[in-house]
Amino acid sequence: MAAAREIFVADETGDAVLGRLMKLAQAGDAAAYAEVLRRSLPIIARVVSSQRHYGLEINDVVQDVLLSLHSVRHTYDPDRPFVPWLASIARHRLIDAHRRHARVARNESAVPELPETFSSDDSKKGVESQGDPELLRRAIANLPAGQRQAVELLKLRELSLKEASAESGMSVAALKVAVHRGLKALRLRLVGDKLEETKQPK
Amino acid sequence: MIKIPTDELVKRLAADVVPVRRLRSPFLRTAVWFGLSWPWVAAIVFIMGLRPDLGERLMDGRWLIEQGAALATAMMAAMAAFCAGVPGRPRWEHYMPLLPLAVWLGVLGEGCVQTWFSLGSAGLVLRPDWQCLPGIAMVGFGPAVAMAVMILRGSAIAPMTTTALGALAAGGLAQVGLRLFHPVDASLMVLVWQTGTVFGLVLLAGLLGRQILRWRYAPAP
Repeated sequence: MAAAREIFVADETGDAVLGRLMKLAQAGDAAAYAEVLRRSLPIIARVVSSQRHYGLEINDVVQDVLLSLHSVRHTYDPDRPFVPWLASIARHRLIDAHRRHARVARNESAVPELPETFSSDDSKKGVESQGDPELLRRAIANLPAGQRQAVELLKLRELSLKEASAESGMSVAALKVAVHRGLKALRLRLVGDKLEETKQPK
Repeated sequence: MIKIPTDELVKRLAADVVPVRRLRSPFLRTAVWFGLSWPWVAAIVFIMGLRPDLGERLMDGRWLIEQGAALATAMMAAMAAFCAGVPGRPRWEHYMPLLPLAVWLGVLGEGCVQTWFSLGSAGLVLRPDWQCLPGIAMVGFGPAVAMAVMILRGSAIAPMTTTALGALAAGGLAQVGLRLFHPVDASLMVLVWQTGTVFGLVLLAGLLGRQILRWRYAPAP
């Protein structure tokens, strides 16, 4: 810490100061290292800003460079200038960021507004129409007794096949057939024969 | 992505700082690499047995130049690989092995031309030599492992260049060792099978550079 302060008092060029601070940081001086990082920020920002950085967040790249600097701080040689060392890391990390950005952009497409449902009209009908509960109640009431009971037990009361069988006295197989036929009849009555016709293979 | 303020990141990194062992100069690291590698090469040559005509070869100037150039290529490539792993060093250092490499390939090329002049196309017969690839892989394994461990200590500033140069260093040294026990001297055979194997490995290592050398703090792609 004291050593770091002495360096600032001395009248030296920025690069030499950074180089000496970095040497202290390599020896584990946290204050010197914090000062190196703080003084490096404008240099990194300058390098990043001077290159093309379309679509990239400069702050993200600056932080990426700081993390990279941290991971390779042992490669700095105090006998060599500091700024070219730092600028080289910044330039290469910017290129890597461009590469990542391009890779992500290749697999993404911009959509102005997310579609709420599928684009075909048929797929929206069920969601968009609220339905008529009274019509449904009447349609169920008009079903044959066996089908009506099966629909009520399995679909309205949501009993299991075993429970419905115990309550109605019908076999499981008979319940399955009855509920299938009941739902088919309801569909025909509520939606109409037209929809059913469109589902028939031509 | 990183989602903390930059000032906070600076504080955290400073708090995380511990003394680090600085990288030695590329020259010293090359010497260390060679010191670690040559016993392996010597051991393989010893196990395989020296070629019977080695005494004769050692009197052959062309053979000595070729071997010297291959060794110089290996050493220069090793130094260039160590330079390439340090940010901020000049780009020309990457090209240091080119001169000895040109001499190495030039001697082999000249040998092919000489054979062509003296024997015609009959002299330039390319026979399969399936010992080259395993031979170079075996001799080069030790130097390659030492090189990989050492370049991983550097940065991923130029990953493809670094790994390609590292492979050239290991392959060049392997070639020198191979020529001490593998008695194939026809220039075309050496050029295609032995040097070709080395360059195949260089290409492979270069292509795998980004997978081998990564920034440890790089965000996930």
